[in-house]
Amino acid sequence: MHNTMELEIISFGKIAEVIQSQQLQISGLSNTDELKVYLEKSFPPLSRMTYKLALNKIIVKENLQLKNKDTVAIMPPFSGG
Amino acid sequence: MKTERYDRQIILHGFGEEAQFRLSAARVLVIGAGGLGCPILQYLVAAGTGHIGIVDDDTIALSNLQRQILFSTADVGKLKTIVAVQRLQEMNPEIEIKPFNLRIQKNNILDLLKAYDIIIDGTDNFDSRYLINDACTLLKKPLIFAAVSGYEGQLAIFNVKDHQGKATNYRDIFPVSPQAGEIPNCAENGVLGVVPGIIGAMAAAEAIKMITGIGKPLINILLHYNLLNQEQYQMHITPATDYTLPTTEDDFLKMNNHHDLESPSTYIEVDAIQMHALQQLPSTLLIDVRERHEVPVLDPVTYIKVPMSEFDTFLNTDIQEENILLLCQHGIRSVAAAEALQEKYGHSKKIYSLKGGIVKWRDHFLTPSNER
Repeated sequence: MHNTMELEIISFGKIAEVIQSQQLQISGLSNTDELKVYLEKSFPPLSRMTYKLALNKIIVKENLQLKNKDTVAIMPPFSGG
Repeated sequence: MKTERYDRQIILHGFGEEAQFRLSAARVLVIGAGGLGCPILQYLVAAGTGHIGIVDDDTIALSNLQRQILFSTADVGKLKTIVAVQRLQEMNPEIEIKPFNLRIQKNNILDLLKAYDIIIDGTDNFDSRYLINDACTLLKKPLIFAAVSGYEGQLAIFNVKDHQGKATNYRDIFPVSPQAGEIPNCAENGVLGVVPGIIGAMAAAEAIKMITGIGKPLINILLHYNLLNQEQYQMHITPATDYTLPTTEDDFLKMNNHHDLESPSTYIEVDAIQMHALQQLPSTLLIDVRERHEVPVLDPVTYIKVPMSEFDTFLNTDIQEENILLLCQHGIRSVAAAEALQEKYGHSKKIYSLKGGIVKWRDHFLTPSNER
């Protein structure tokens, strides 16, 4: 089975310095939990940052299935005023 | 009500005198009179919001003026709340504006919030933001969350039910506060003045929309704004179940936030005088954790340089000295460094962080060679 997917990654704030917004080709991943593991392995500084994923503009609370052409935003908390 | 002042908005389609009456009866509390607070207040006051409270315990610094546009050079050193009320009341004497010159805390926030209908969070730190969020959630007060970093901003409305009857709060996005020092604030990371200007104006717009009933406020939506490419990205928030919040005021007052529970802070925050006393002790190491480009440059013999970006590597080496004092520009990163060292050494060493950092004790650090 061919399970390569293309995801659009959008990153914000300091996370954009670690992972630039890009089209990401991935294979062997099927859900957002696996994507987090993959991202933290590929971009190690991410593992020390607080962030939240949004899948197709919905903030991810529990593990969600990924499909080809999904958009994943990676967002840090901001505190500045 | 004299209406000439508000004529240009009253004649708007969908606004009218009724919306103006609603505005004049509204009670809005703005917490933080800084980069966000200034434009939020200016637009709420100009639009005729009837009762406004301003909470801040800070004084105006020269480095505030680049974005805190209510204040002028002659105001440096004065209390933000007092100057803000004076300027705003000149702008519109027909409304009531109250200053609260205090720092919000667990034991004063509930009474403050109860006197207002809508709360706007324009503070500059996570402790305040989580406190405001939890208190507003307990009291079911509509909360407009506005925050900035660098060239970007975030905006959302919490504790207001959507058409499905669901309300959310900040913990539905970030259940636990980040560790101290993990997320840089404006003082550490920088911010372009127009960013809080834009996000602050948007926050004021959301307040006006909620009060008057026009348009679709950002309920259960987090808006992300990027000035560099002028892009906005909206994300939907749904209620989460991985946190608990107090349901009574008694529980709220007894609550420890998660951060306190996870990392009991046994390092000590000191002032410049205590730092000076520590320097006299025989076994003290002073560590400057700022990055190499930051100024003023300190004497490298007295203050060894270990930037936060290199701190993980540094943790692998063993320190001989008994007392370790950490310092940075504002005393935020040094707390993170102190926590890391505390974790490594436990009670075997005494660890200190300079509260307020080099900026606060500037005179103590300036020498003829590093003065700019």
